[in-house]
Amino acid sequence: MASSIRSLPDRWRHLTRRWLDRRAPAARRVTLNHGKLFVLPTRAGLTFLLVVLLLWLLGTNYENNLVFALAFLLISLFALLPVHTFANLSRLQLQLLETRPAFAGDYAEAQLSVGRGDGRARERLRVFWPQEAGGDGEQGAELDLIERHSADLCVSLPVLRRGRVRAPRLRVESRFPMGLFYCWSLVDLDIEFLVYPQPKSAGSLPIGAVTGDGESEQRIRGGDDFDTLKPYRPGDSLRHVAWKQYAGGRDLYSKSYDSGADARLWLDWDLLAGRDVETRLGNLCHWALQAEREQCAYGLRLPGTTIEPSLGPAHQKRVLTALALFPVQGG
Amino acid sequence: MESSERLPRESLLWIFAAQFAALLPQFAMLPLWIVGAWGFAVYWRLEVFRGRRDLPGRTVKLLAVVVAVGGLALSYRQWFALEPMVALLAVSFTLKNLELVSLRDAFLSLLLSYFVAATLFVFEQTIPYAVYGVICVLVITAALAAQTGSAGARPRRALGLSLRLLAQAVPLMVVLFIAMPRLGPLWAVPQNSDAASTGISDSMTPGDFSELSQSDEPALRMSFEGPVPPPEQRYWRGLVYSDFDGRRWSQGFGVDHREGGRVHWKESERPLPEVGPRYRYRVIQEATNSQWLFAMVRPDSPTEGVGETADGRLLKRKPVYSRFAYEVRSWPRETLGEPMPLGDFERRRNLQLPADGNPRTRAWAGEFRDSGLDAEEISARILQFYNRSFVYTLKPPALGEDSVDEFLFGSRQGFCEHFAGSYVFAMRAAGVPARVVAGYQGGEWVEQEQYLLVRQYDAHAWAEIWTPARGWQRVDPTAAVSPERIRDGLQSAAEEEFMGDSLLPLHRISVLNRLRLQWDMINYRWYRAVVSFDREQQESTLQRLLGEISPLRLAIFLLLPVAAVLLGVLAWIWWNGRGTRAPLSSRLYRKFCRRLARAGLERHPGEAPRDFACRVGEQRPELAPMAERITAAFEKAAYAGDPAAEKQLRRLLRRWSVVRGRQ
Repeated sequence: MASSIRSLPDRWRHLTRRWLDRRAPAARRVTLNHGKLFVLPTRAGLTFLLVVLLLWLLGTNYENNLVFALAFLLISLFALLPVHTFANLSRLQLQLLETRPAFAGDYAEAQLSVGRGDGRARERLRVFWPQEAGGDGEQGAELDLIERHSADLCVSLPVLRRGRVRAPRLRVESRFPMGLFYCWSLVDLDIEFLVYPQPKSAGSLPIGAVTGDGESEQRIRGGDDFDTLKPYRPGDSLRHVAWKQYAGGRDLYSKSYDSGADARLWLDWDLLAGRDVETRLGNLCHWALQAEREQCAYGLRLPGTTIEPSLGPAHQKRVLTALALFPVQGG
Repeated sequence: MESSERLPRESLLWIFAAQFAALLPQFAMLPLWIVGAWGFAVYWRLEVFRGRRDLPGRTVKLLAVVVAVGGLALSYRQWFALEPMVALLAVSFTLKNLELVSLRDAFLSLLLSYFVAATLFVFEQTIPYAVYGVICVLVITAALAAQTGSAGARPRRALGLSLRLLAQAVPLMVVLFIAMPRLGPLWAVPQNSDAASTGISDSMTPGDFSELSQSDEPALRMSFEGPVPPPEQRYWRGLVYSDFDGRRWSQGFGVDHREGGRVHWKESERPLPEVGPRYRYRVIQEATNSQWLFAMVRPDSPTEGVGETADGRLLKRKPVYSRFAYEVRSWPRETLGEPMPLGDFERRRNLQLPADGNPRTRAWAGEFRDSGLDAEEISARILQFYNRSFVYTLKPPALGEDSVDEFLFGSRQGFCEHFAGSYVFAMRAAGVPARVVAGYQGGEWVEQEQYLLVRQYDAHAWAEIWTPARGWQRVDPTAAVSPERIRDGLQSAAEEEFMGDSLLPLHRISVLNRLRLQWDMINYRWYRAVVSFDREQQESTLQRLLGEISPLRLAIFLLLPVAAVLLGVLAWIWWNGRGTRAPLSSRLYRKFCRRLARAGLERHPGEAPRDFACRVGEQRPELAPMAERITAAFEKAAYAGDPAAEKQLRRLLRRWSVVRGRQ
């Protein structure tokens, strides 16, 4: 019994979503029209009706034609308003320009373009993710299209889980002209965010660490004890530059470590054995960011994926994407 | 979500402007402290906005509520009345300002403003107030529109939007106004009973009517269906005074229907003569705050809520608190047949005199009775007496204890109430049943609009005596002294004294008089068409418009304009949205291309104007110079934005068509 009651709103939501999907299918470019727009009075609108009713009562009881006229004027105004509110959104064009990747636990941003679609000025448009769809309602953007024909805007959605996250329907809303009606549309601009794992600190970079069984912690620390100096090559980590020697007037040298078979920095899945999958990914993500920040070339080893050590935004993106898309392990 | 948003400055200013507009005409009626409190609350809220002060805490707000309620209780004794209600609204306005924080508060305050603006109409329904009400609604609507955006809060934009929206709503309003059924009062409501109004009161003491003669306020407006009574027949009866206490004439016990006087409220209760009425007219009466209406003798009214009293007057079930219109039919005496004999009670009532006082008059009238004259002869004697040595004046000397004696045998100067009162006293002393009648006499016929305008200075008192042969009949002692008063009105009868107390003798300037009459005509139309538009008028209007009132036709009548307006607005929006018009230069150039196309030279899509001009030159050398010049002008106008070039382009095109026409 209780479960059926609880599931009722869910079923309702499911049904409306299916209905909406059929009515307004996902597309990167959407033009609002009567099939996608809905108009209802706001709470202020209902209060307005109450005031009109009170005026009518006043006019009736005092048999006062001027009060009647005022009541009729206001009710006529009320009858006209939904047309204006609707017209303010109708034929509006929305287009997804780009999405930016984000880290889980942060806000994912999407860049949109809103255009008038025809010559009419549009006022007080709000674009946001509704609260019930996971948006916090306030991160929306408000804009007027009075003098300009189109505008770019940025909307953001809080994301919690890594991977490819499909954004819920965006809500486009307007209460123009008097705030007594609101017209809205739920548009699916086919927005998909790439969400990286949430970075989780796991100590300093595992420089010189070798994967092995047990006691990885101690080896991970790497050491400051280097063996030889090699002439500096672009791409070498600045951290490993022999600054002391450089300061002494010699050329730029990189310290060369000889703690393992491979001297390069490998962010290895196996270094973090014993932690759960998401934590491991979070740690790897944190390392990757740290290594990039410190300009220390790094590679990534995941079960089934290996990315050779390198540096630079493109490389970082590859690494983070691999982390983001790492398959979710059972449960 | 919205409630957490702070109101921006424009919002606040708009709200205060709307409140001010709604309250301004009420300021005169409200106690001064409410006006002060409102101003203070606004000041405080603006200081909060500037960050110089905090919003009041809970204690301060509670204190403010207590003080306000206390103030209202002290200012108004009576709670169930209109003024305290409006004051309460104003006070709640004021208090709301102290916690005007969210958008919701703003909306509430503005919606309340609409209501306050409407209460104004309960007090006043004149044209200036109606115009002011429209301005109020315009401002409040603009304030509402300005609430949600900074761009929309600019005064011109908000007011323009408001004006546009309201203008679109007007046709629908008119239809609703005509077609919406009027239910009539659902429950008893407080009325503005305190409002002072000039007019005839339920008693008469010497001096009352001369006071009224100082006022040129309109009292009645009448339009006639069929014949208009001649001036000497225009006696609009309102009250009958049968009781005299030595100084004051009043209705006496048992006349007022609340004291048991009989009133026929329903039409079926009144036996109507077989002959049709002599006069049919519609009276629009100004507010008097009392129940009596004004009509010629032997009236009958089909208007709802109007009854006929036993002494042949009309009465409204509820006092006339605001302008009221009613239909009247009056019958001539002949249609009534034999008069009913005067009942014992009625005879005693209409012979009543105070136990003592005015001995000379009693003795003088007693002589008539003793000499065996009949009622009409006695009346003629008394009128002759007036005619010989009395003066009709607006400023009679004050009278002492025995007012009738002093007037008849001393001062001999009086106004209508002196003549009517002394005449009835004398007739009663002579044994003839008589009574004083108060109402209006005369009126100004407005030819242009075909109505009779009766002003307060037309207030008049006269007498009625009862004779066995003819029943009650009218006798106007004033006519014996000053026939002009009856024929031409007060202004010509007492020209020297007329409106003598007014600061400027404006009534002597004929242009102003004409203007005033014009204004009254406009008012009259307004009252007839709008203010007094009642159920009967509604029915006749709908009948005229629809032919027959059926639910189907009514629905069509209501829905058709709704559909038309909505479609119109949609079309207007569509029209506005067709995309911006091409600039003038492009339009002119396109015209040039169309002309060339007709001459067989089509411009290819995407062909640059310059290339096109070259091609024209090759194919039709004779057109080359003109094409060259037009293209150059177009390029200058379109790309360099040169307005002079635009003009030149237009000129060239015009000339070119002429040249081509000659060829």
